[in-house]
Amino acid sequence: MRVRTHALTLLAAAACLLPLLLQLPPALGLGFGLVAILIAIASWRRRLPFLLRLLIGISMIAAIAIIAPGVGRDTACTVLAAMLALKPSETSSLRDGRSLVGFALFAPFAAFLLDQGPTSLLLALAAVLASLLALQQLAYDEAQVRIPAAYWRQASSGVLKLVALGLPLAMAAFWLFPRLPTPLWGLPDRAVAKPGLSDSMTPGGWLDLMNDDSPAARVQFFGAAPSREQMYWRGPVLWDFDGRTWRQIKQLQYMPAAPMQAAGTGWDYLIEPEPTEHRQLIALDLPTQVPGGAFIALDYSTYSTAPLNGVTRWRMRSAAPAAAEPELPLVLRQRALELPTGFNPRTLAMGRQWRREAGNDTQGRADASIVDRALAMIRREFAYTLDVPLAGRNEIDDFLFDRKQGYCEHFSSSFVVLMRAAGIPSRVVTGYAGGYRNPVGDYWLVLNSDAHAWAEVWLPRRGWVRVDPTAAVAPERVFDTLVDRQPGRIGAFDGLVPMFNVGDWLRRGWNDFVLGYDAQRQQRLFNPFGKNRISSHGLILMFTAVAALALAWMAWLLARGEREKDPLLRAWHQLGRRYARQGNGRAIHEPAEAWAERVGADVPESGAPLRALSRRFSNARYAAKDTSELRRLLRDLATHRP
Amino acid sequence: MLAALRRRMQSWMRPRQAETLPACLQRNRIYVLPTMTGLFFGLLLGTMGLGALNFNNNPALLLALLLAGAAQASLISAHMQLSGVVVDTIAADPVPAGEPLRLRIGLGAHDARMRRGMRLASGNSHVHVEFDHNGGTAELPLPTERRGLMPLPRLELSTVQPLGLARAWAYVWPAQSALVYPAPEAQAPPLPAPAGDAGRAQVTRAGDDVHHLRGYRTGDAPRSVAWKASARRDSLLVREYEQHRSDQLLLDWPLTAGLPHEQRIRRLARWVDDAEREGRRYALQIPGQAPIPMGLGEAHRHRCLRALALMPGEAAHG
Repeated sequence: MRVRTHALTLLAAAACLLPLLLQLPPALGLGFGLVAILIAIASWRRRLPFLLRLLIGISMIAAIAIIAPGVGRDTACTVLAAMLALKPSETSSLRDGRSLVGFALFAPFAAFLLDQGPTSLLLALAAVLASLLALQQLAYDEAQVRIPAAYWRQASSGVLKLVALGLPLAMAAFWLFPRLPTPLWGLPDRAVAKPGLSDSMTPGGWLDLMNDDSPAARVQFFGAAPSREQMYWRGPVLWDFDGRTWRQIKQLQYMPAAPMQAAGTGWDYLIEPEPTEHRQLIALDLPTQVPGGAFIALDYSTYSTAPLNGVTRWRMRSAAPAAAEPELPLVLRQRALELPTGFNPRTLAMGRQWRREAGNDTQGRADASIVDRALAMIRREFAYTLDVPLAGRNEIDDFLFDRKQGYCEHFSSSFVVLMRAAGIPSRVVTGYAGGYRNPVGDYWLVLNSDAHAWAEVWLPRRGWVRVDPTAAVAPERVFDTLVDRQPGRIGAFDGLVPMFNVGDWLRRGWNDFVLGYDAQRQQRLFNPFGKNRISSHGLILMFTAVAALALAWMAWLLARGEREKDPLLRAWHQLGRRYARQGNGRAIHEPAEAWAERVGADVPESGAPLRALSRRFSNARYAAKDTSELRRLLRDLATHRP
Repeated sequence: MLAALRRRMQSWMRPRQAETLPACLQRNRIYVLPTMTGLFFGLLLGTMGLGALNFNNNPALLLALLLAGAAQASLISAHMQLSGVVVDTIAADPVPAGEPLRLRIGLGAHDARMRRGMRLASGNSHVHVEFDHNGGTAELPLPTERRGLMPLPRLELSTVQPLGLARAWAYVWPAQSALVYPAPEAQAPPLPAPAGDAGRAQVTRAGDDVHHLRGYRTGDAPRSVAWKASARRDSLLVREYEQHRSDQLLLDWPLTAGLPHEQRIRRLARWVDDAEREGRRYALQIPGQAPIPMGLGEAHRHRCLRALALMPGEAAHG
């Protein structure tokens, strides 16, 4: 292998490995990257000894087992990255180079299994180009091609040309090749979960999420949109509290949504959540209607029937409730009043005392007054901060009586515990609050940093009522009304906001047209042409036809270079071919004028003009250049017919 | 079995018979198949594509399709590298049997397309062709075994450019033969006595006019060995003497009587070379051909060796 080939091969492998390394835990990603570089340097001249390679391999596996234990998709990808980092240690022949490039191409593929974001996409594209460049260089090596002076320009334009030529075929296959409606085998889970809304909440545990400015969902409204203060995106509803952590009741998923009366006409919207790998969906306020593949659980949280591994779109209807579950079954009522024993004695005592002071009535007026009293207390004495110490055993007591500072998790969980202590059924609802309207494309963007937790209390006749104790203290933190929460803004400089808007709009288009494209969308591909559903036979037929067209186009583009470069010769040869069809073709050794003489003897009527033409051809070709005569001659050659 | 299949395949491939030059490589005689690398690559892409389809992972699918599209374009591109190439000329200088024939092949093209990394092969020997806008030349060594006219074999022009995933190839079968001279006998006795009486006297005059030294051959007179010079070397050296202009050799077929047929031809070939080297005029008379008169020089040598090369075999001679 020549030095340039070796370097290019390693470069291509590195470009392939990079998007995968970025998806690994930082310690492993950085470590493997360093190992790969060191190995590439050490094995530049000759292979590393087998024992050393074995040793490095074992230590890498050990590092994976320690830093990211567990069996899952991310672990498999980590092992692949380790193997690829080790592979350059045995790259000496052309064959090694080719197999390195081939296997390395699995790395961006694996990265896509972990992340389909724009960074991975761009890096993978660069990796593909680098790999093709390396393959081309390996082919140069095999044929011992002399390296041209303008190497980089020629090599890269050659590769780009190939990609451009292959693009129509690739696109045809992408849009038309029949997709699988259901996977043949499932995608293994990740061993380490990504941060996001989970089915449990431990106060103090969301800090990662609340500092994460990446999108959680994009929403487009058809018709009226709710005001920002009404935008509560409902996620998991948490009932059970063990003193530290709030949890869902899983069984509620299998029960139909509780009865509810909507106030107003509601909202019609399309929500596109980013992939979470959970089945939990989010919906505005209380969902009233969800599409197939999704369902509403008893507590109005929504689920998909399959994990959200990719980009999905859900057309939903929601409404603010006039009365949600006005009759609370006894079992649920007890569940919504349950508190762990032996925790937070001061809060329990205060709740019981408030109940005694408010009294009891069936209308729920006493309950409402307790809620108001708590909100008034919070508004008066509490402050919002993300800077909170670690939770102690009686976390709620600490928060309510001593610290009086915290964020949504503390406010909502303390509020619910206090309400339960006062005998009001209540629960914690997690999800997102607020949103950012992107003027480009007119849709709403819900960010992970919009994650929020609020409370719901059950009041007689009104059913479940949303109470947001955090909004009582810091509505601006909940609804992002502050200008400085605008995405894409750096400090006081908001010049980047339009760029962010356009960027996110592009991202949404990419999600829509590419990431979210699946078997269903494919079947609806021809809706605009009045064809509702295409069978897979029809698709295969269409794919074959379009692929054949694309192939023909490729062949034509490539064959076009075969044309004679000199226009005069081209016209002359065409003339010869016209005569050849009549059996009077010019033999390859025959001078122009001798041929004209021969044809003239054979076909007297075309003899004289052909003689003139061939004389002029010889003059133009072998005598002085005269551009205007050349132009006239070209025209005459093109129009002359035998 | 596999070899038989290969022969059968070869017989289907164009051109099916020898052709006159210039031969233009058109589409219908260019073949393209994936290389081993190409098959390996295809397997990788298939695995990737199937996985991507299964998980409906569209970026991964795009990645696989992008590579597959580029690979497909490289397949067509490899075909296009060959198509339009013209094999203009093939020539070879005659060589003695056993020495490789250096086949000079001139290539041109009808169009201005960039062509690189072409390989010309026949049997086990191959050569890389440097091709620029004006065409290219290559010198392909071909092994020779026996004297006579050697019909040129099918030559294979191939390329794995641009990515090494596909190999395009085409055959050129020139209706041309190359002349192979008989291999001169290695251990031959010295030249026979010159024709006529004058020659004898020349030999006895040995001792004067030392021209140069040459290696010992069986049959050399011990007198003529240059002992002093040989002592400085490992091998025996023999003095050669300047010959007179009148010294004319007749290399006649009966001079080699008693030897096997082919060896007689090889000895005569050797004598032709020796006479040429020593600058002695010589004539050649062999059965079945018109006698070649006295002469000297490259053209004369070629004429004699050609006559020897084209002598019929023993069976035909009877």
